[in-house]
Amino acid sequence: MYQYTEFDKQFVRQRAAQFRDQLERNLAGKLADDDFRPLRLQNGWYIQRHAPMLRVAVPYGEMSSKQIRQLARIAREYDRGYAHFTTRQNVQYNWIPLAKAADVMDLLAEVNMHGIQTSGNCIRNITADAMVGTAPDEIIDARPYCEVLRQWSTLHPEFAFLPRKFKIAVSGAQEDRAAVAWHDIGLYLVHNEAGDVGFKVLVGGGMGRTPITGTVINAFVPWQEILVYIEAIVRVYNRYGRRDNMYKARIKILVKAEGQKFFDQVNAEFRSILERDIDGAAHIIPQAEFDRVQASFAYPASVQAHTPTGNGLPADASDTDRIQFGKWLERNVVGHKVAGYKNVQLSVKRVGQAPGDVTDNQMEAIADMADRFSCGELRVTHDQNVLLPFVREEDLFALWQAAKAATLASPNIGLLSDMIACPGGDFCALANARSIPIANDLIARYQDLDELYDIGDIDLHISGCINSCGHHHSGHIGILGVDKDGTEWYQVTLGGSDGSDHAPAAVAGKVIGPSFSADEVTDAIEAVIETYRAQRTPDEKFIDTVKRVGIDPFKTAANAVRRTTAKAT
Amino acid sequence: MKFIDIQHDQWHTVGGEDGPMAHPPIKSYSLLTLAQWHAVREQWPARDAADHKPVGVILSNDTDIESLEADATKLSLVVLQFPKWTDGRAYTQARILRARYRFGGEVRASGDVLVDMMPLLSRTGFDAVVLRADQDRAAAERALGFFAARGHYQGDVQQTRPVFGRAA
Repeated sequence: MYQYTEFDKQFVRQRAAQFRDQLERNLAGKLADDDFRPLRLQNGWYIQRHAPMLRVAVPYGEMSSKQIRQLARIAREYDRGYAHFTTRQNVQYNWIPLAKAADVMDLLAEVNMHGIQTSGNCIRNITADAMVGTAPDEIIDARPYCEVLRQWSTLHPEFAFLPRKFKIAVSGAQEDRAAVAWHDIGLYLVHNEAGDVGFKVLVGGGMGRTPITGTVINAFVPWQEILVYIEAIVRVYNRYGRRDNMYKARIKILVKAEGQKFFDQVNAEFRSILERDIDGAAHIIPQAEFDRVQASFAYPASVQAHTPTGNGLPADASDTDRIQFGKWLERNVVGHKVAGYKNVQLSVKRVGQAPGDVTDNQMEAIADMADRFSCGELRVTHDQNVLLPFVREEDLFALWQAAKAATLASPNIGLLSDMIACPGGDFCALANARSIPIANDLIARYQDLDELYDIGDIDLHISGCINSCGHHHSGHIGILGVDKDGTEWYQVTLGGSDGSDHAPAAVAGKVIGPSFSADEVTDAIEAVIETYRAQRTPDEKFIDTVKRVGIDPFKTAANAVRRTTAKAT
Repeated sequence: MKFIDIQHDQWHTVGGEDGPMAHPPIKSYSLLTLAQWHAVREQWPARDAADHKPVGVILSNDTDIESLEADATKLSLVVLQFPKWTDGRAYTQARILRARYRFGGEVRASGDVLVDMMPLLSRTGFDAVVLRADQDRAAAERALGFFAARGHYQGDVQQTRPVFGRAA
């Protein structure tokens, strides 16, 4: 993974010192809460329902065992013993008192971590495919580009106060596992006809109130020019994005309103920077800089292609172990670029814990597993799980046992119980409804592995409000919490897609009728699932059945379970 | 960074009976609206003329900065505005003034200007500020000190090259 230079390290320390100065002025009454708010947000500090929430940046989801140990320590000593993995590959805490905020930032800085631009109307943490660098279908390793982009976007002086938040995702694989089209800027690494590396650039995707997927603004920007091209996009957005209505302030609204005019402005701005500005070409990435960054992403020396000698399953393993381990191999273990290696997901979705939540002990266990089995590296996935990117096939059985001991071995990756959920109304001050109880109900209801396997691949996404942190728009089944007269209701959508191979065209789901009450929603989901099982053709995935038969049969079935809302339909 | 005390500022706006005077007289240190400037720019003595008077323009943050492109060599001051400090449009205006138009006069921030904006202002080309009345100048100067030793990743108006393009 990226190796911090002395410059990078002192930079994070400077940021922590700057934040401490701001916090101390706030606590001393010299910096008003309203003025402090945007400053703390750009360091990851929200004020939530119970306490401040801290969002720690995990650039493109990549972390070391040392870093997650420090996160475990912070959870133990400053929070209530747990943390939460987010859909944008970050880590959140919910219970740290603001007075301790600067101390926590210092602890993070010790391991090259921070909360820079994890909130606020600025360029947010850049996300990527969780298997970036190790995916078997990878065309171009996106990590060096992500890191160059991270550095360029960090404390960019012109773009700290944009009309609204700004998210960038990058993918360099055949399958889009980064929901690229759903971002303000989506980047696909591609080769052109001459074989040169560049980016296909999408702009104007986003969820929220107006779900739109991005439009291609440029089919090929040479990689050397990508910082300048993005600078042009963000500059045009900073100038012309709407600031009168926060629900219309994302770049997607500008792109939709202006269409070709926006594209023309960006392309003109791009040329002006290069042709007219003082040192305008200084941000063209030199080969030497790319090489320097890329060098730190070289595989650890111990990673050597080889023909594996089995997966470690002992000859005298019990039948139960054989079956469980087999299921885990089937769901949680996928191929790798290097022969003899696997990418392994540790499932953070299991009965009794909210999706994406991990305890301090589980984080320690993840760190130990990363050290023992994955060269000390791990990734946070967009689906709120943990991925170990360098697992030798021979170690799979030993890893499975270690994961099982930490209750991180649910063999459910990609299945119904591997759902995405935001923290919802239990924690979040923005939420209209709670997400966790709905997620917990569904996970409890779908514990039977045979049933889960029979239902098969399905993306179920839950957001507690229209801000869409739980990506409900892109769920094959989406659940959105809404508030009516102070009670919780849930809107159900079907047929959404993040753009991964299940349904390669990213699209927002369609609503199936009026919202369901909290006591109906899990029954409604069950009715939807049962409709799928009744209607599917052999081997047909849920999303394909929805596409083939349309939403009406699902709607009818879901309506039939209405009790509280029966009068409304 | 120059901290402007508006009580002792040589620059003055030119008001009339009913809002800004439509055709302001040619006087030193006149700070004009864009409309006023457009009304008098043809008559205003050039910078190298013996009878030249320093003139400045105050520009709203939703006016295209391109409207000053032709005047970059005539103006001595451009005042850019922050109606709310979280509205970042003036950063882009300042940067284009400096980097693209090579504007060499003063670029001044006015409006809701907070001490914590100092690093952003300085890096995008502002060299003068009118702090909001409740702001502390010492804190503003301290804010300029963070990151000063080693700089930032990306280039800006002060340091035009990104960290990868600077001499080690």
